[in-house]
Amino acid sequence: MNTSVDWVQLIIVVVIFGGVTVMGFMAARWRSAGHLDNLDEWGLGGRNFGTFITWFLLGGDLYTAYTFIAVPAAMYATGAISGFFAVPYTIVAYPIVFVFMARLWSVSHRHGYVTPADFVNGRYGSKILTLAVAVTGILALMPYIALQLVGMQAVFETMGLGGNNTLAKDLPLLIAFAVLAAYTYSSGLRAPAMIAFVKDFLIYVVILVAIFYLPHVLGGWDSIFGAAKEKMAKPNAVTGKPTGSFIPGNAGYVSYWTLGLGSAMALFMYPHSVTAVLSTKTRNVVRRNAAILPAYSLLLGLLALLGFMAIKANVNVKGLDGLANPQLAIPRLFDQEFPSWFAGIAFAAIAVGALVPAAIMSIAAANLFTRNIYRAFIKPSATPAEEAKVSKLASLLVKVGALVFVLAMDKTIALNLQLLGGIWILQTFPAIVVGLYTRWFHRYALLAGWAVAMVFGTVSAYNVVNPATKKHFGGSLANIPFTNTPAYIALTAFVLNLIVVIVLTFVFQALKVPNGEDTTHPTDYTADRGDPGVQDLPEILDEGGAATAKS
Amino acid sequence: MSRLSAVKPAYWISGVLVVVAIVLPLLVPTYAKADPHLWGFPFFYWYQLMWVFLSAILVSISYRLVRSEERKRRAAQGLGDPEASDAPAGPYGSDGSAKEGDQ
Repeated sequence: MNTSVDWVQLIIVVVIFGGVTVMGFMAARWRSAGHLDNLDEWGLGGRNFGTFITWFLLGGDLYTAYTFIAVPAAMYATGAISGFFAVPYTIVAYPIVFVFMARLWSVSHRHGYVTPADFVNGRYGSKILTLAVAVTGILALMPYIALQLVGMQAVFETMGLGGNNTLAKDLPLLIAFAVLAAYTYSSGLRAPAMIAFVKDFLIYVVILVAIFYLPHVLGGWDSIFGAAKEKMAKPNAVTGKPTGSFIPGNAGYVSYWTLGLGSAMALFMYPHSVTAVLSTKTRNVVRRNAAILPAYSLLLGLLALLGFMAIKANVNVKGLDGLANPQLAIPRLFDQEFPSWFAGIAFAAIAVGALVPAAIMSIAAANLFTRNIYRAFIKPSATPAEEAKVSKLASLLVKVGALVFVLAMDKTIALNLQLLGGIWILQTFPAIVVGLYTRWFHRYALLAGWAVAMVFGTVSAYNVVNPATKKHFGGSLANIPFTNTPAYIALTAFVLNLIVVIVLTFVFQALKVPNGEDTTHPTDYTADRGDPGVQDLPEILDEGGAATAKS
Repeated sequence: MSRLSAVKPAYWISGVLVVVAIVLPLLVPTYAKADPHLWGFPFFYWYQLMWVFLSAILVSISYRLVRSEERKRRAAQGLGDPEASDAPAGPYGSDGSAKEGDQ
């Protein structure tokens, strides 16, 4: 294990990072010089790109610190239930998207909606429900960004940055934060889109080398699975229960599938994924991609198994502060098994792969704030310049919020950060997805269901205490009320949400409570590019551009 | 809302395929076991990775069915081809001209 700085790795990472950043800035300059037409083609969804390149770009967005650091770390620490559920999660996410996203595309392109909150506003005519959806989006993105920071932190720490005194302990995290803040503040959303190609290329090289070379040097898949099985069966020193699960037993079935389904339903509720989908050219591009994106789950599954490889390779996960940190498993595995120069490339890939999504997420959160909170509630008459300023400030605040999550939460399993975000964002599902099909739900019933589920979900998650560290928010599984079956809190809260919404809809209808004005028309939900009233939304990609009114 | 009988076969077939692609990968008891192994992978692991391919096939078929049905519907309504590079606007107004079309 390295306790001093590995200069070869550090230099390679700094050079690649620097190159990628300069490229991003240059590209952003070139764009703003007036070639706005080209921006459409560079949209996250591909626009005029062939299917292959679209797949390449969209898929690259899915590789974040979640895939590279968090999922393998969870596999390393506690095995299948806490980690491998990500495979069924990403497999079922696309069929779910296939079903409803085309309708969201159509109605958004006819009305100029750019955020999920825009749609809720148009559909239900309720400012307060719109506010609830917007706030949830911003809140849920914070732990997701926090996860990216934790990923970058793990890489910097493996290279030997940091130490065991109070100041140096958090140095890797502060570096990660500073890089992210500087990057998004000055470049907007263009640079991340520009460097997506480089990032993806780096990531593919590393993935392919890791999943073919490592099993070879570690003695084959048989012995890797053997080592994992042995570790998971060993009793945990604190609880006396087995360390983890190699193959879920009866008691783990519900946990496993609820984690998978809950995460899948939550994935495309996140504002940044909605933005990416809306920037595609026609309504069916989303569906076409839903058909070919599952291929990414294969690589995700193999990456998850890197966690088992780290077990087999006896990787040391003790951090520079002397505490065990499973998030170090993968960087340390690379550090131990690869030559320094390739480990450097891999670390650069992970760091850039965490930076880009974190930038996209914090800008999505900032746009949500500017569009659906600042302009709607605080200053409707704001000039575009003011809005851009507010957007930048909001994006900084969101990142500070993410930093708070990193510092305050139990980081034993970083995956919990993303799962916590999922608990919150899933509660906007009834208003958004059900709203795409029917207007039957009453707007205030939706609001009440959301509020009840948010409180229930947050309290349940708070009450999960990590037995080793005694910290709250120690996990995302809790017993379903009145049973002894643990399940993903997001899904339990979602069911509660739906029950409240349905019951109260009957009540409000009986009391004849006004149900707001629906400004959408049934034909809006099937409209496609070129139809009357359907507009391209190039502004989605513009920095602060979402603030420019369009209708 | 009694349009159920008018739903085109293409839509309900693709609906069934999509439901299969969502439900089967989540039936944990059907695959939570170690044997048979494949290339050193326990069944639990390789079976789920296999679903990546099955899901891609099922969703592709659904996509083709839905797309061709949507093309027919759009042709019947005189709307343009959205995949064309310069999609012309359809001749009908945006409101009321389309009767069916819910998938």
